[in-house]
Amino acid sequence: MPDLSFVCDLIPRILPFECLELRFMQLAFLGLILLAPMAAMMGVQVVNFRMAFFADAISHTAFAGVAIGLILGLSPYCTMPIFAVAVGLLIVAMQRRSMLSSDTIIGVCLSAIVAFGLAVVSRAPSVQRDMLRFLYGDILTIGEADVVFLSLLFVLLTAFQAWGYNRLLYTGLDPALAETHRVRVAFYQYSYAALLSLVVIFSVWWVGVLLVTGLLIVPAAAARNFARSAGSMFWWALIISFTSAVAGFLISAQEWARTATGATIVLIAFVWFAASLAAGAIRRQTGR
Amino acid sequence: MPVATEPEQAVHFENVGVTLGGVQVLEGITASVPRGGSTAIIGPNGAGKTTLILALLAHVPYDGMIHVPKLADGRTPKIGYVPQKLTFDRGLPLTVIEFLTMGDQRMPFWFGVGRANRRRAVELLEAVRSEQLETRRVGALSGGELQRVLLALALQNKPDLLILDEPAAGVDCHGETLFCEVLESLRAKWHFTQVMVSHDLSTVTHHATHVICLNRKVVAEGPPEAVLTPETLGSLFGLHMGIGRVQSMPADHHECSGNCCEGDHHA
Repeated sequence: MPDLSFVCDLIPRILPFECLELRFMQLAFLGLILLAPMAAMMGVQVVNFRMAFFADAISHTAFAGVAIGLILGLSPYCTMPIFAVAVGLLIVAMQRRSMLSSDTIIGVCLSAIVAFGLAVVSRAPSVQRDMLRFLYGDILTIGEADVVFLSLLFVLLTAFQAWGYNRLLYTGLDPALAETHRVRVAFYQYSYAALLSLVVIFSVWWVGVLLVTGLLIVPAAAARNFARSAGSMFWWALIISFTSAVAGFLISAQEWARTATGATIVLIAFVWFAASLAAGAIRRQTGR
Repeated sequence: MPVATEPEQAVHFENVGVTLGGVQVLEGITASVPRGGSTAIIGPNGAGKTTLILALLAHVPYDGMIHVPKLADGRTPKIGYVPQKLTFDRGLPLTVIEFLTMGDQRMPFWFGVGRANRRRAVELLEAVRSEQLETRRVGALSGGELQRVLLALALQNKPDLLILDEPAAGVDCHGETLFCEVLESLRAKWHFTQVMVSHDLSTVTHHATHVICLNRKVVAEGPPEAVLTPETLGSLFGLHMGIGRVQSMPADHHECSGNCCEGDHHA
């Protein structure tokens, strides 16, 4: 395990806030500024290709993931990501083959998964408290191992996005047209769904099922309003998610606020979104 | 297959049938597309015109054979495809230049469009007389502008066979005239074989060198003057052919397709 103390010690020097002097707060902060940009990066495609419901469905696999862990006697930290990725791939496979509309397929999967999770958990009252934990998430449970893991995921995800950003755009715009330009549509659809599922399920641990979608789509939606090109939308999403994460974290830790961190972050991202709407309206009025 | 290997054929359909969702959309299609010419596939709505093109592009499963013979220099022909319409999110922040380079450029658009790719895209836009669209958002283009940008995209890999699906659909009079002119001059210069789906007969009579009349089966095939007889058209479009044609155009545009290409470029 690499030693993170050097990075942790750096944080209060850059951001001299009282709340950032404690080690667990430093770790939470590190995890967050890795997680939020990742969510925003994936959110660009979620927003552009209307996959918000997909992300929502994946976040709800958390309950079934715990339930499966319970049945098999495995740690939910192992079963949750595996199950989330499996469901993500299954939904894409069904979307590619079925004549049903995309939201019907996701709706059917979502209901089945939630029902399964609740059915299993209702037999084991002892884990019901755990379930509530996933509903709201807790940013302060991020440990050193989590930060290391998130860093690795961050590298993998950035590499994937850098390598496939234009092709993903093409695939989402018109798969048939993309195929005539020899874009491997199926590969991009499956690998994007798998990575998105991973990001979503890790976000569930720390910001909760209720707010995962917010972390994914609010910064990207605001970015879409500000951006004038596909390239600039990416940077806008990064800037908005990063500033929201930092500001949300610091505000939530203040004595006068003491709000839930995930909720504060999403609220600040929403302020960005409101500003983007205003900017869009002004742009339309001035005819630019 | 002796017919298929004749060098003057760009495509040969041999007994092609397509069944979609239990419905036989096409059956026993045997027809040819002569190399270098402009072939029009005509027929009423629901005749399977678009399906035949999708079969040629291998986007739908089909029975029978579709031969695309190699070119004289032994290359496999490259295919360019202009879809009927692009159903996409109009609010997508995507510029025309990004749209034209997203299939070619590996470097993510985060760092903009590379210089060589940009130059190539601008050349394509110039070829379709749309260089002024470079920085516009794709979602903000008019029907005619989008059609020309889609044509530019299809021309990107220098196709030997260009397939267009209802290029005039949803395009205003001026846009259609421009599109026709652009296509004519490009074909004269680049020598590709053109296959065009159309239900606009005046476009066909002005541009086609070969016509395939389709209504689930091949009704007639050959040069336009031989095929576009009252008898064929009657059996193809039915007794209400005249009414059917006017209704197939936007209400205020039914004049324009007749006049659209009567310009100097035909002289």
